[in-house]
Amino acid sequence: MTIQVQDGPAVQGCTSKTLLESLEQQGVEVHYHCREGFCGACRTKLIEGQVEYATDPLAFIDDDEILPCCCKPLSNLLIRLA
Amino acid sequence: MKYTTFNQQATNPLLEPMFFGNPVNVARYDQQKHGIFEKLIEKQISFFWRPEEVDVSRDRVDFQKLSEQEKHIFISNLKYQTLLDSVQGRSPNIAFLPIVSLPELETWIETWSFFETIHSRSYTHILRNLFADPSAVFEDIVLNDEIKRRATDISRYYDDLIFATQLWQTQGEGTHVVDGISHKISMRELKKKLYLCMNSVNALEAIRFYVSFACTFAFAERELMEGNSKIIRLIARDENLHLTSTQHILNLWAKGKDDPEMQSIAEECKDEAIAIFMNAVEQEKQWASYLFQHGSMIGLNKDILCQYVEFIANHRMAAIGLDTPFEIKSNPLPWMNNYLNSDNVQVAPQESEISSYLVGQIDSEVSAGDFGDFDL
Repeated sequence: MTIQVQDGPAVQGCTSKTLLESLEQQGVEVHYHCREGFCGACRTKLIEGQVEYATDPLAFIDDDEILPCCCKPLSNLLIRLA
Repeated sequence: MKYTTFNQQATNPLLEPMFFGNPVNVARYDQQKHGIFEKLIEKQISFFWRPEEVDVSRDRVDFQKLSEQEKHIFISNLKYQTLLDSVQGRSPNIAFLPIVSLPELETWIETWSFFETIHSRSYTHILRNLFADPSAVFEDIVLNDEIKRRATDISRYYDDLIFATQLWQTQGEGTHVVDGISHKISMRELKKKLYLCMNSVNALEAIRFYVSFACTFAFAERELMEGNSKIIRLIARDENLHLTSTQHILNLWAKGKDDPEMQSIAEECKDEAIAIFMNAVEQEKQWASYLFQHGSMIGLNKDILCQYVEFIANHRMAAIGLDTPFEIKSNPLPWMNNYLNSDNVQVAPQESEISSYLVGQIDSEVSAGDFGDFDL
């Protein structure tokens, strides 16, 4: 699956890693704190595509936002980093 | 409306707003209007820790080796953290419990505040280890002008809400004269005070605390004061959760998912909310000047800390739907993330220096010399 960062690079996504891990491994810097879905530091806009959560995110996320630290892509994604 | 500890009127907590509805009666969690607060309670309780579990004894040696300017940075930072948690250990309880209307939110507030008291106790644990008598450090918190200036701004919105709530609960809406000063109490005014207070609490926990964490972890980056850093890491993990809770409250209001009047207040008071954040940022920058007045330390100086304040403020303001006022795009202190990562906090007891796990162990330092009389 392709994760396209708006105004940035495209990286490969997979279902065995969190979106945050995929982005980091391919050199995309994402702000984070807890990596467990409760602080919201990695909050990112999801413009196109679908994700699923391994753990229930506790941080506030808006309808068009995702937490890369605890989600995995289900399709190609277009995202905008904060 | 007079406060009652057990409201005998049957209410439906699923229909109450978060605040200023009916007082809570039955503490029940089988159903929730806003399930997030129940989840936050569970998460927070799973984080339970005690300061005494962390061995800070090696910090004393490190502290003696610090330069005078570094000692000033370390101790001033600890005083500021002590002030912040002194306020947070009591204020959410006193300000929010008399006006809360949902059982899950009531219990979240109590759980939240309780953890702040653990934080306060851990500062005593840290300071007792560094000084035979830590009184001078604690006493300076109410004498030092730099700290006092911060205390004024941090407690102002709480105090304002608490006082107005007291007038409302004892005398109702209307104009009341207390000590020759006239106070106009209406539900809308009360709700505005609550809204501003919640923004101020978010600025405290989401920005001010992080400035202090940066100072703590800058020492740990140099492998100094690591016991202290372990404790602050546990505190930071809790604060991560607390800032999430106030972000939820502010967003529930702003998006019209709770009290509709709070949504209109959020719009009306947006500029005041922004001003609270901008003011906090400005004060943290002034604090950075005070910390580094005698010189900087390796890895951290006034300018980098000021950039970090702006960076973190952008993120926090965006999270509650405010515009991001600062240019800065990338994190000037990327190593901060390592200390705020909850994976790095919970380690196996045998791998950390949890003192209860080290029973019978006299010295945690082992050098090559200890194997001198060892034959195979």
